[in-house]
Amino acid sequence: MRFKGKAWGMLMLLMIVTVVAAACSSNSGNSGSTTPGKTENTGTKAPAGSKNGNNAIIAVNANFITLDPHNAGDTNSISAVRSMYEGLMGFDENMNLKPVLADSYTISDDGLVYTLKLKEGVKFHDGTDFNAEAVKVNIERIIDEKNNLRMRRSFSRVTKVETPDANTVVITLSEPYNAFLNKLAMGLMISPAALEKYGDKIGQNPVGTGPFKYKEWIEGDRLVVEKNADYWQQGLPKVDSLTFKPVPENGSRIAMLKTGEADFIYPMPTEQVNEVQNDSNIVIDKTDSTIVRYVTLNTMKKPFDDLKVRQAINYAINKDAFIKVVKSGLGTALDSTMSSKTQFYSKQEGYGYDLEKAKQLLAEAGYPDGFEAEIWGENDSETMKGMQFIAQQLSLAGIKLEVKAMEGATLSDQINSPKSPEEAKIQMWFVSWSPSSGDADGATRGLFSSEMFPPAGSNTAYYKNENVDKWIAEANRSTDAEKAKAIYSDIQKQIWGDAPWAFLAVDQAISGKRAYLDGVKVYPDGSINVLNAEVKQ
Amino acid sequence: MGRYALQRLLGVIPLLFVVSVVVFMFIHLIPGDPARLIAGKEATLEEINGIREQLGLNNPLWQQYIDYMGRLFHGDLGNSIRSGLPVSDMLATRVMPTIWLTLFSMGWAVIMGVFIGIISAINRNKWPDHVGMITAISGISIPGFWLGLVLIQIFSVELGWFPTGGVDSWSSYVLPSLTLGAGIMSMLARFSRTSMLESMREDYIRTGRAKGLHEFIVVGRHALRNSLIQVVTVAGLQFGFLLGGSVMVETVFSIPGMGRMLVDSIAFRDYTVIQALLLLFATEFILINLLVDLLYGVLNPKIRFDSK
Repeated sequence: MRFKGKAWGMLMLLMIVTVVAAACSSNSGNSGSTTPGKTENTGTKAPAGSKNGNNAIIAVNANFITLDPHNAGDTNSISAVRSMYEGLMGFDENMNLKPVLADSYTISDDGLVYTLKLKEGVKFHDGTDFNAEAVKVNIERIIDEKNNLRMRRSFSRVTKVETPDANTVVITLSEPYNAFLNKLAMGLMISPAALEKYGDKIGQNPVGTGPFKYKEWIEGDRLVVEKNADYWQQGLPKVDSLTFKPVPENGSRIAMLKTGEADFIYPMPTEQVNEVQNDSNIVIDKTDSTIVRYVTLNTMKKPFDDLKVRQAINYAINKDAFIKVVKSGLGTALDSTMSSKTQFYSKQEGYGYDLEKAKQLLAEAGYPDGFEAEIWGENDSETMKGMQFIAQQLSLAGIKLEVKAMEGATLSDQINSPKSPEEAKIQMWFVSWSPSSGDADGATRGLFSSEMFPPAGSNTAYYKNENVDKWIAEANRSTDAEKAKAIYSDIQKQIWGDAPWAFLAVDQAISGKRAYLDGVKVYPDGSINVLNAEVKQ
Repeated sequence: MGRYALQRLLGVIPLLFVVSVVVFMFIHLIPGDPARLIAGKEATLEEINGIREQLGLNNPLWQQYIDYMGRLFHGDLGNSIRSGLPVSDMLATRVMPTIWLTLFSMGWAVIMGVFIGIISAINRNKWPDHVGMITAISGISIPGFWLGLVLIQIFSVELGWFPTGGVDSWSSYVLPSLTLGAGIMSMLARFSRTSMLESMREDYIRTGRAKGLHEFIVVGRHALRNSLIQVVTVAGLQFGFLLGGSVMVETVFSIPGMGRMLVDSIAFRDYTVIQALLLLFATEFILINLLVDLLYGVLNPKIRFDSK
């Protein structure tokens, strides 16, 4: 019995330890008090009004990685930081540039010197002034090699930042860069005092000038931001707080929208759009995104080195059917190398579905009976569905594809480990791309410049065209928007004709919201804009 | 038993050492480059190399291991490669949801499972047995993912009784615990039925009945206690698995637990996070195994640990 007593003692001890541990950390994992206005669920017969008061809950599909705006790369983190931070420039809902913290700007004729007048009277959340010095501190933080921030590549051409007076910033570049204003829109402004105070921990303690102030971030569970009462735009924001919640499972995200636990969800699962369309409490928003879907064709490998083969593939795939089958009908056909929402887009003609023409082109290229090839892609269900669809379409033209679905990081290794085009094993890759700052350079150079063969960049078609290389450089140097537009139009036309891709579709950004919520919008780059959020009671 | 427990606890140390080596090698040898994954698709080579250098990924593997273990001995789990957050801070918010989920799921699963097992055993081949075993087989066969979504549809969307997910309140744990516990409950029901039936055939049961003991005492004290040994073994193993976090349930119910954390970190080859989690899981498993062994002694005094 003595033995038994001891064992029970140990068990009790274990239980006590567990309970104490639980009590100590219950505020981090289980507190219900911090969710603003959270009330009991009242079921489907709930009135259409918000159960979250004058607060909005936004459910997204993945965790936030960092709240350091100079280091955020994933769409969700970018949405989150943009609720608290602003840049000198910003985007409107069509990804057009507009001044935000800048009042006006001029660019020197040689394209090297950007002079920006700043808005006056803007304050950071910590009460310090936003001024030219703050801009200088931020840009210098971004370009400092030691910091190794993601944003550095966008500012690599900056050679100096001067502050002739408190409201004027002069930025000098080493060479002209047409997309620099877009890059400025990505460089959000952090309070220098906060940078001083928090150092490396700024990612967990955001202090910006934006409409919302940081309240709390429980990694993996929620991010709460609250109204910035001193916001410089009068009358904004109109809600008291926003809670962002990562909800990875599609079915759960849509359930939250149905119950009103979430007021806004993005992405809205495409297969559920029809189901909720008749629900008067739920509104679906769709907008063309900057995300393009395509298959790269390795132009240095047989048989894809033959233009006719690449064009045949483009004729053999029915894009409308692709959108219907793979994207649940939500998307538009890709009719250029970039989406219509990307800067300097120019619509191209051709490659309508024509199986006979595809067969004819293949025969002319010397493949009357088609050929065998591999198509690569990631192993998520939509990508696999897409690859199966493409394989089915091409089989009608005699091309037999072996579908190889791989885990993302493994696939990335396969693509980036070859040191030269000769070593590359890639034949076809079903993938998507979206330029991070909506600019034509971001949608072109990394994908089509011959300097960007893997591992240096993402030109996985190993596409090389001297004109295109030259034009890309020219477009970047041009300071005149009209001229840049003309050059990019030539670039798109050339690449479209050369068909280094099987051009497929442009994704739609689809979000769902409760009918009483206004002003929350998904922009074409997939970021969620919350500036005008309003709960109508 | 104290000495036995101490011996076992000390034995954990070399075991964990071996685990740490295996985990470290395994993680670093699978394909995938964290620097490239973190830098993103528009990154330049220079940038990627900068990150590799910063993270020490260019050093030989043995040196990376020694650096890692050195920090570990100072109680430093390092920072997440992907987010830069200290791994210990990340764990602090992730551990408790998983522990609560495990306790609730195991709690009802053990009670219900053993109860169904006993009822089925003493009513062998009668209708309660059939009902119990049909329940058990359904519980094992239903995919948890599907069950979770069905529960959300019924109890959150239609009836509005429980939240769809999250960890905002205790009621958030009801549906996930039901989902996670269903399979385990069923398994335990089958195990306890079988071992109860075996125990009931033993001589001491007949002796007990012959002595005129009440059937309740025969079943409850003598048969059950003996058959619990198997149940404890199975439950202990399951407990260890659940403490590793259930990816499926945590995903469906948006619970910020360790299962989701592991999957997210593997996708980005976030070495430090994966290492920390796997070491933690290994430790949990070893400790639970030890606890199960000790429980054997409680249930059956014939199993003794201290040698003379």
